[in-house]
Amino acid sequence: MANLTFIVFCPLVAALVIALLPRTFNVLFRLLALGATFLSLVGAVRVFLALEPGAAGLQFEQQASWIAALGIGYHVGVDGLNAGLLLMGALVAFAAVCVSREITERHQVYYVLLLLMAGGILGAFVAFDLFLFYVFHELALVPTFILIGLWGRGEDRNFATFQITLYLSLGALIALAGLIALYVLAGADTFNLPELTRHLAAQPLSARAQSVIFGLLLFGFGVLVSLWPFHTWAPTGYAAAPTAAAMLHAGVLKKFGLYGLIRVALPLLPEGARDWVNLLAWLALGNLLYCGLVAMRQRDLNLLIGNSSVAHMGFAFLGIASLSVVGVTGTVVVMIAHGLLAALSFAVSGYLHRNLGTVNLDQLGGLLRAMPFLGGVMVMAMFAGCGLPGFANFPGEALTLFGAWPAHRTVVILAAWGALVIAAVYMLRAVRALWHGPLPERWRDVRDARGAWVRLPFVLLLGALVIFGCAPRLLTDQIRPVVARLVEPGAKVGAATVLAEAAPAPRFTAQPPALPGQEVAW
Amino acid sequence: MNAFLTWLVLLAPAGAAVVITLTALRRPATAARWSIGAILVAFAASLVLFRAGATGETAVVWLDLPGLRVDFGLRLDPLSLLMLLVVTGVGSAIHIYSWGYMRGDPGLPRYFAGLSLFSFAMLGIVLATNLLQLFVFWELVGVSSYLLIGFWYERPAAADAAKKAFLTNRVGDFGFLLGIILVWSVLGTLNLAELSAKLRAAPPAWGAAATAAGLLVFCGAVGKSAQFPLHVWLPDAMEGPTPVSALIHAATMVAAGVYLLCRLFFLLNAPALEVIAWTGGLTALLAALLALQQNDIKRILAYSTLSQLGYMVMAVGLSGAGGHPAPAMYHLTTHAFFKALLFLAAGAVIHALHHEQDIWKMGGLARKLPVTFWTFLAGTLALCGAPPFSGFFSKDTILTLAWEREHYALLALGVGVAALTAFYMFRLVLVAFTGPAKSQAPDHAHEAPPVMTVPLVALAVPTLLAGFWGIDRGYARQYGAEAAAAHGWAAHLFEPFAHAPMAAWGGLLAAAAGFVAAWTLYRRAVSDPLPGLLGAPARWLRDRLYFDELYAALIAATQDLLARVVAAVDRWVLAAGLVRGTAGVFELTGRLLRHVHTGNLQTYALLLAAGAVVLLWWTLAR
Amino acid sequence: MNPGLEHYLVVSALLFCLGLVGVVLRRNLLVIYMSLELMLNAANLALVAASRFVGNLDGQVMVFFVVTVAAAEVAVGLALIVALYRRRQTAHVEDLTTLRL
Repeated sequence: MANLTFIVFCPLVAALVIALLPRTFNVLFRLLALGATFLSLVGAVRVFLALEPGAAGLQFEQQASWIAALGIGYHVGVDGLNAGLLLMGALVAFAAVCVSREITERHQVYYVLLLLMAGGILGAFVAFDLFLFYVFHELALVPTFILIGLWGRGEDRNFATFQITLYLSLGALIALAGLIALYVLAGADTFNLPELTRHLAAQPLSARAQSVIFGLLLFGFGVLVSLWPFHTWAPTGYAAAPTAAAMLHAGVLKKFGLYGLIRVALPLLPEGARDWVNLLAWLALGNLLYCGLVAMRQRDLNLLIGNSSVAHMGFAFLGIASLSVVGVTGTVVVMIAHGLLAALSFAVSGYLHRNLGTVNLDQLGGLLRAMPFLGGVMVMAMFAGCGLPGFANFPGEALTLFGAWPAHRTVVILAAWGALVIAAVYMLRAVRALWHGPLPERWRDVRDARGAWVRLPFVLLLGALVIFGCAPRLLTDQIRPVVARLVEPGAKVGAATVLAEAAPAPRFTAQPPALPGQEVAW
Repeated sequence: MNAFLTWLVLLAPAGAAVVITLTALRRPATAARWSIGAILVAFAASLVLFRAGATGETAVVWLDLPGLRVDFGLRLDPLSLLMLLVVTGVGSAIHIYSWGYMRGDPGLPRYFAGLSLFSFAMLGIVLATNLLQLFVFWELVGVSSYLLIGFWYERPAAADAAKKAFLTNRVGDFGFLLGIILVWSVLGTLNLAELSAKLRAAPPAWGAAATAAGLLVFCGAVGKSAQFPLHVWLPDAMEGPTPVSALIHAATMVAAGVYLLCRLFFLLNAPALEVIAWTGGLTALLAALLALQQNDIKRILAYSTLSQLGYMVMAVGLSGAGGHPAPAMYHLTTHAFFKALLFLAAGAVIHALHHEQDIWKMGGLARKLPVTFWTFLAGTLALCGAPPFSGFFSKDTILTLAWEREHYALLALGVGVAALTAFYMFRLVLVAFTGPAKSQAPDHAHEAPPVMTVPLVALAVPTLLAGFWGIDRGYARQYGAEAAAAHGWAAHLFEPFAHAPMAAWGGLLAAAAGFVAAWTLYRRAVSDPLPGLLGAPARWLRDRLYFDELYAALIAATQDLLARVVAAVDRWVLAAGLVRGTAGVFELTGRLLRHVHTGNLQTYALLLAAGAVVLLWWTLAR
Repeated sequence: MNPGLEHYLVVSALLFCLGLVGVVLRRNLLVIYMSLELMLNAANLALVAASRFVGNLDGQVMVFFVVTVAAAEVAVGLALIVALYRRRQTAHVEDLTTLRL
């Protein structure tokens, strides 16, 4: 079961089977979907546990030729970077199927689309061929549009669907242009990533070409990851989307762009990266502060979570902008943690929307008395969202702040404010408005999430957040060696580290600190 | 063995919290047993470790990255050993007391889980080996405080107070985190032992970053220990149950800020220490003034806590570069005992009067609640600095410090605050415990059950005697200072008067003056005479000098402004400009191009011909 | 004077332009159609002249093709115009603008 092709194609095959089944078997649809995603999850867990952290090269590798004339092949594998992401994706996919019991019409199409998304995300994370990566990405993205269009909620769901479709297609287009430019200019006649890396290591592209391609990839992937100012599709889109789509998209699909940047853009275009990272850091700050402030004003829970989700992407971008091992490791941890958190938050809000009919903070209140389990889960999720230690978000955010400090001091100061204060403000406001306070008459009869199946997705997601929060080395030990290879160490030459000008202070570099007893050149 | 015991101290409360949350949320007795058992185990282990005088560090690597290595470890040294005793000792008393106070409350298991979580987090702060680990537990203490202040979350006041506390703390934590990052970036390590070794070996290693880092770290203490200007959350935190106020907001959590400063004393340079001293002094004065006109028994105690915290912070600042902050830790320890005692006794009063907290509705309780009264009086005398109570000695060391450092402004301030302290505390005692009953409530009052009074008595013992236990010598050992030889009891009692008579007599006379003033005004008062005497200033003090309103207005104004800017940008730049703009551009282009399709046959023919001509010219004539 | 190829080509061009002007400017469908035929015949003239002066018969063979296609086109086009007239009662090209966007 720890076979990557199995993990990726299990949902896809299940989708095919569901599509072919007659409509009368509608009990089977959900069962098949649950089974397929569960098997993928088990496989992903096994792959994660069986991974050897420091090993060079790929593990569980599988390769086959596809379109040999263009150098496109089927190449999948895992290393420290994508094992955690694969696990997160499989977990969120399973949780998304679990919460889909609320869908009452057109199950068949729904589950087919959901499973296509699941297969697409799992495939995109393990693909090591650029074209294959793009194919899986689109395979996962297109069902989102259909899901939001058909099962969306809210009055402006049509606008939201159009906006998200066109916006993300535009982003994907720019990214594709970058990828093709990379292919053409590299002249290696292959989309296979390891070969391309070797080729470009030997003959790097010119600085100007690198800069242009990196810019294309940055903004292409950036749009897909809701980089400020190209983020407005996200909150409205998630507010209009059905729960499972919001979970999968906000949780997992948004991470593709970041993964693409780390896997493709950073190692292959190092000089190009250096030209863009200052801008990227400030745009990341836009995400954190701007979207945080917008989140503070929201009275609709889904819009609040959506804006908060966009704000957290600021950390991921900041980590990438740091171009340091610490920072980029932090980015990957943020990706995993945020994926789990966004899925959890949208799952809770989906439950509220289905059972209470509204997610408007002004109309809800005092629900903790009536729904202690769900309330407890959401309070923990809100605290995770403002970076409380004990949840996986804290190590990620801390690492990005530490990593980005040498290169982008002002940004880190403002980002810390955004992370610690602004996030706490809107998260706690949501808790205060939703869960605390006296229970109003109209909500006296609401039921809490009861039963193992209903509680399972919440428990799984929260449990993963806590486990990775208490033992972040489970992630960082795997991620660090890969990131060290992808990112040039000590790239920030000349960036001021210390405020000290007078005394000969020790300059920080990416070297381990001098322990007492070792010589340090003062 | 020591490592095992230390891990036990830390993890026992954590285990209790986890077990209660997973299994015992509907079984109050079981939950109480787990929680109380865990803290007693931790206390026992702390005693053993203290007796053995164990020192050292043990750690597990939590994060390992190039240039950034964060351990999850335990550090034993004189400072942490003593603090462990304080936390677990006071904690045990309060855990046991809670079982009596909170009996019957439907959320009791949740309460004990929160209390255990808090104990775990506080012990983590005490035992932390590096700055980031300390920050982790710092935040966890904040969240357990939030959960416990907001324990009765259905009361809007409690829910709001919890939010306020957490957010105010977060503002302080922001500065703290920046300070940590700054320290790491300049000195390259987060481990406390390594930092102190580095700075001892080469003091100029800091450079200009020193003051900034010191002040940023101090920000964390300002938030957690409720110093001015982040003091606004502590009085509101009294919305939580009284044992919570005793444990968290008197004895331990708020002391964590002082503990942090003492732990990181080697990071603080002279300019930073000056700022710290003044902040502490001002907080002490401000809080004492505000306490003069509060009428809720818990609020008076809360402001008194604020004031004493100011003393402690001032003491840290006065210790000066080259000195050591043992006086601050000394006062922290004695304060933990007598303030917890005062709060628990107040809780007994509240419990007896069925949750009446206004002192002007009490009166004559001394006869009805004798144990409570005498222990409360003991705590008050300690707080006012009356010999031979422990508070006298610890406060005297602080005043002596100001005297020795020739910081006469702060000395005068300290003495003045001592007078005010005596005044408002005896106002409280005289109005609540003596004199005529001022309402119906005291009629049915009866003494608390033993499960509540035994902890009171247990805390009264160190309140009285802790001055003679050589605590200050224990702390001085942490900093490698030469400890003065131990005295006999009598000699120890008179030693402050011999050593620094101005400070000792000043403090004593100020306390006496305050007592006399309170006696005159409040001995048989049925209503507060002070507003009549002072007029408008009394009202300002009662309304807490309008700080809350000021902050609310400031926050609302900034937020409003920012939100408006952001909303405008959102609407005009992003939505209108980017999104609809792009759509609009395409639509406009489409509309322009549409005019080519006139439907007129001849137009098409003409364009066809023209196009053919252009094509021919292009291919043939160029 | 001896008429050379250029004379025939000029005449052909003039005829073509006349036809084009007629297509673009005249308003009656039938007249447009006749102008179209004029353009076709101008092309025929050019082809024959070229064939005569180049020496081989390729141009004249092409003329046969053009004439055949023109005939077929006239048949279909006139049928369309008649059907259109019966529908719309007009042969005025300015009245036939339903293909506009």
